Amino acid sequence: MLSLPSLIDEDIAALDAALGDFVAASSSRLAIFIDGGGFIVTRQGDAGGIDLATLGALAANSFAATQAIAKIIHDHSVTSLYQEGVENSMLILSVGDFGFLAAVFPSQIGVGSVKYYSHDALVRISRQLAAARSRAPANGLDLASINLADTGPLFRRRAT
Amino acid sequence: MALINQATKEIQLKIVYYGPPRGGKTTNLEKVHAEVDATPETKGKLTSLATNSDRTLFFDFLPLETAVVRGFKTKFQLFTVPGQVIYNTTRQLVLRGVDGLVFVADSQYEKMEENVQTFGNMIQNLETLNQTLDDLPYVLQYNKRDLPNAAPVDYLEYVLNNRDTQVPSFASSAVKGEGIFETLNMITRMLLHKLLTESGRKAA
Repeated sequence: MLSLPSLIDEDIAALDAALGDFVAASSSRLAIFIDGGGFIVTRQGDAGGIDLATLGALAANSFAATQAIAKIIHDHSVTSLYQEGVENSMLILSVGDFGFLAAVFPSQIGVGSVKYYSHDALVRISRQLAAARSRAPANGLDLASINLADTGPLFRRRAT
Repeated sequence: MALINQATKEIQLKIVYYGPPRGGKTTNLEKVHAEVDATPETKGKLTSLATNSDRTLFFDFLPLETAVVRGFKTKFQLFTVPGQVIYNTTRQLVLRGVDGLVFVADSQYEKMEENVQTFGNMIQNLETLNQTLDDLPYVLQYNKRDLPNAAPVDYLEYVLNNRDTQVPSFASSAVKGEGIFETLNMITRMLLHKLLTESGRKAA
């Protein structure tokens, strides 16, 4: 999986618009775009106390595990993973080599409907990230303001 | 691969703790989680996908955040891999998108063969992801220094830190919380330095 390009305001605004429209159209509670490593890039909807960092890590690894299982049974085209719940269900969709779109939605809503409305979001997200990648193929980043000498120990033990 | 979000001024980096079974990878994360000086907003929940006997089945996961790097909020995801050989596919999955590695070696003499095998396995698994240790920051941690049968650090250096470029190494006793923050701070520094260097090179 390729790394994500460096994202600027314009990218995040476009991703947010795609996710927001998807949430509204599909009646999902939450839509998250997750990179291949499990990092939350951006999200729309009501996170309502959900631990997003952990959700992203688990979702990405769960999807990766499902793809690995699929390969074992000679299937190489897993593009979605559906978790059916009692209150909330979840659909994770591959966004090419960019990452994943995860949707959390009320369980009474059919997954088919959510998947149907995801198509437009997947196209828009892919298009924006492709544009970002072509704009900055070398993953350029202005880190001029970072002074490594100033960082000191990043993590300290709590005083007892 | 580091995720850089210039819109929200965030850098997100993934660090994986790799090593032989029962070497102390999970204990490293548990101690960091328990003892790090952080607010609830900057320290996430430690998640362990483990067997009933507390052996890591898939991974342990700890999100941490630091605002030290000027202008950028830096988020770290710390992962462990399962040490047992039968979980090799799982180790490959957890390595996806890795930015930096901590190899946690077991200092006991009788574990030296396992250390070497696991180090080789790490290199092989990175190759499946088209990555090599030559372009990935990593540090060595010689754990279990508190045990009486721990081999000398020089010996561990000879066995494990013998590549063309030697890397920083740390003696530790994870159960006592010794050496774990030194290890974590070094790998985070190396990651940020790599980002900075690559950024400068590309800007030139």
